[in-house]
Amino acid sequence: MTGTGTGTEEIVVPDTVEELLGGEDVRPDVPWIVIVWDDPINTMDYVTLVFQKLFGYPHAKARRLMLQVHNDGKAVVSSGNREKCEIDVIRLHGHGLWATMQKDD
Amino acid sequence: MAVDVFRRRGDGSVVVTLDADALEVLRSTAAEVAAIVAEPPNQEVGDRLFPRAYLDPTEEQAEQELRDLTHSDLVQARLTALEAVTDDLDVREVGRRGRVEIVLAPGQEQLWLMALNDARLVFGTLLGVSQDDQADYKPTDPRYEYGVVYRFLSALQQELVELLLGEMPPGADEEF
Repeated sequence: MTGTGTGTEEIVVPDTVEELLGGEDVRPDVPWIVIVWDDPINTMDYVTLVFQKLFGYPHAKARRLMLQVHNDGKAVVSSGNREKCEIDVIRLHGHGLWATMQKDD
Repeated sequence: MAVDVFRRRGDGSVVVTLDADALEVLRSTAAEVAAIVAEPPNQEVGDRLFPRAYLDPTEEQAEQELRDLTHSDLVQARLTALEAVTDDLDVREVGRRGRVEIVLAPGQEQLWLMALNDARLVFGTLLGVSQDDQADYKPTDPRYEYGVVYRFLSALQQELVELLLGEMPPGADEEF
């Protein structure tokens, strides 16, 4: 490893995030994303309608996300904490869309 | 396949106009799909109707807990929609030119939307529909009859989707 230090400083590596942040985990609790995957049965218009209906997205945004699913095979359609994403995934499943959730790495 | 089935009346209710053949096809479809939703005949159909929420295998416990919490509600929501459509289809008086007009209760069209889509998911999965195979089979193909039903359901759903899309608030312009 190269550097410009004198080599005399003692580097203390925090053991936990809490220690690093001073005792409290203040990271925003939004580490999850919901992904909708392309499938050959749901139609483009139906998927657009579901995005508008479930998430209240404006038509242009719903259509852009639908096209992303169609062209790229998947799109991130919502995010939030684990509980919110579980609710979104289940609502999407209820409307027949192929949705999964994962940590937003 | 052009259809002219769904129409929004001035009083806000949706009217469904069907001939006797379409009525019968939808009745038997609703019954068949309800049986499949309650007891999927194979894993493929089960996975399509009730997919995993978590792909990450290390989240298996969260997957199971979520499934325990929501699966019966998901099944029940689907059956409720199919039963609502079945009730709506219970018309005895056939009108002029062999057609029936069914006036849906307010908001009931959302249940029709879900029932039609679930029927397409079930039949589409059983038929093996893909991007290159939209169930347009030759009459000699053993899948022909279900293919015809699938395409009819698709046309019906598309008309309802277009009606409902046209009624959604346009919303703000794209924000980014």
